[in-house]
Amino acid sequence: MDELDEPALLVAERIFAGYVRGVDVLAGCGLLLNEGELVGVIGPNGAGKSTLVKAMFGLLRVRTGRVTFRGRDVTNEPAHKLVAKGIGYVPQRQNVFPTLTVEENLRMGTYLQPKEFTRRAEAVQELFPVLAQRRNQKASSMSGGERQMLSMGRALMMEPDVLLLDEPSAGLSPRFQDQVFERVREINATGVAILMVEQNARRCLQICDRGYVLDQGTNAYTGTGLELLHDEKVIELYLGTLARAR
Amino acid sequence: MRVHLVLATALAQGDEVPQGPGFLDRALQALVDGIQFGAIIAITAVGLSLIFGTTHLINFAHGELVTIGAVVAFFLNVGAAGPGWHLIPSAAVAIVIGALLGGLIERGMWRPLRKRGVGLINLFIITIGLSLLLRHIVLVFFGTRPQSYREYDIQQALDLGPIGITPRDLIIIALSVLVLLGVAFLLQRTRTGTAIRALSSNPDLAEASGIDVNRVVLIVWVLGGGLAALGGVFYGLTEIITWDMGFRLLLLMFAGIILGGLGSAYGAMVGSFVIGIVAQMSSLWFPIDLQNAWALLALIVVLLIRPQGILGQRERVG
Repeated sequence: MDELDEPALLVAERIFAGYVRGVDVLAGCGLLLNEGELVGVIGPNGAGKSTLVKAMFGLLRVRTGRVTFRGRDVTNEPAHKLVAKGIGYVPQRQNVFPTLTVEENLRMGTYLQPKEFTRRAEAVQELFPVLAQRRNQKASSMSGGERQMLSMGRALMMEPDVLLLDEPSAGLSPRFQDQVFERVREINATGVAILMVEQNARRCLQICDRGYVLDQGTNAYTGTGLELLHDEKVIELYLGTLARAR
Repeated sequence: MRVHLVLATALAQGDEVPQGPGFLDRALQALVDGIQFGAIIAITAVGLSLIFGTTHLINFAHGELVTIGAVVAFFLNVGAAGPGWHLIPSAAVAIVIGALLGGLIERGMWRPLRKRGVGLINLFIITIGLSLLLRHIVLVFFGTRPQSYREYDIQQALDLGPIGITPRDLIIIALSVLVLLGVAFLLQRTRTGTAIRALSSNPDLAEASGIDVNRVVLIVWVLGGGLAALGGVFYGLTEIITWDMGFRLLLLMFAGIILGGLGSAYGAMVGSFVIGIVAQMSSLWFPIDLQNAWALLALIVVLLIRPQGILGQRERVG
């Protein structure tokens, strides 16, 4: 982990956290994200992938361990302060404000910088044209895929340095999954570092610079996306033998 | 009915024969009374609804915020040890105190309890205890005797065709509507208002969007406390000030909120007006003591037809 020269953008070290007293869902896992990188976290159900992202983003108390952003300790800082520092987060479920219009959803994205709304809304709507078409509709009227776009758009309104995506493809049709992964790459290409948690392991590793395999709250494997995709053990344990067939 | 109307017109033009007003006139009068009662319920219920929407807390002590508003204004207005101010500045101070009290309860009690992770049911029981405590504190200082404000107590009703309304009641309705429009403007057109709606819609995402949730909840409590106090003054003006007046209004507030659609501030407004109007109009046919029972019956009937309430929305799933 320490072989890189410049300090990483976002680092989580030996994180212990959980929802119930005495039960650690995360048992000492960690990861790092460099400037402009696209990093994926994969692993079986219940491995603690989403939990790790929540703990890093201040939505779940870190019991022990350390989260640093740009070298500064941000462990257990409330989420709204991390947003102000340049970290964006897209939750897996309930990722929009259903009773608000699409435009109001985006407006909440610039809650901390209301003057920037107009300019950034234009940029976000260029990336996600569907948001411009449906700007005055309630978010509750949108499909799962459209909500994912809206939620990413909302998170991008703050022009974050880091975007944390919690299973962006979950529950979407294959067509929408493709779109989501395409957008993730596009966003990353603009210089935003992305940490993506995915149950769709193969697709995730195909587009990621690096990947982490999480198992039972600890790091099982680490490597570049390609290395992991072709690692016999990772295939055997996490990608499934179907993957080998291809 | 037509014969009746003709007769009424003839009577109005001609001889002053003493006779009670016709049914239509009484109905119109009850409607106006109902709108006024509904407006008072709405002003108090909006705050209760916003508190529920943003924190999911069922604030059983909201009635006491109403009572305290009315009683503080009473103390400043006619209290033996009070300054004997005119009602208008007394009401203004009562609103400020209600707002501060709302903020204080949130800051001193609910926020620490939330932070400790106390469950919603436990918090609900605590609000019942708080309600009892506050009500009895009021009882100690105010006593059981019903009281009235010094000003605007007895007024000559303005004769508007079939309806008689005192300038006091007219102003209460007008001010209530203005205040409700103000709340709607706040919710719809301001950054804080949108944040309140966002928080009601999805608390975790609100936090993840950079909204300081605790700050927004504090604003909601301050707003709710102030509105409850204003409603209390209005209620004390139209009826009478008693130590448990807010508690008696509480069930109607809940009814208005549920009828309108739980979690929607506009639903609370609409629902409250319906409850107020049904309560007053039921007295056309039934004993006035039963008017709240009829309002609650209306609630049950509406929910049977529209379980999500008048403005409540069923969410798209998936």
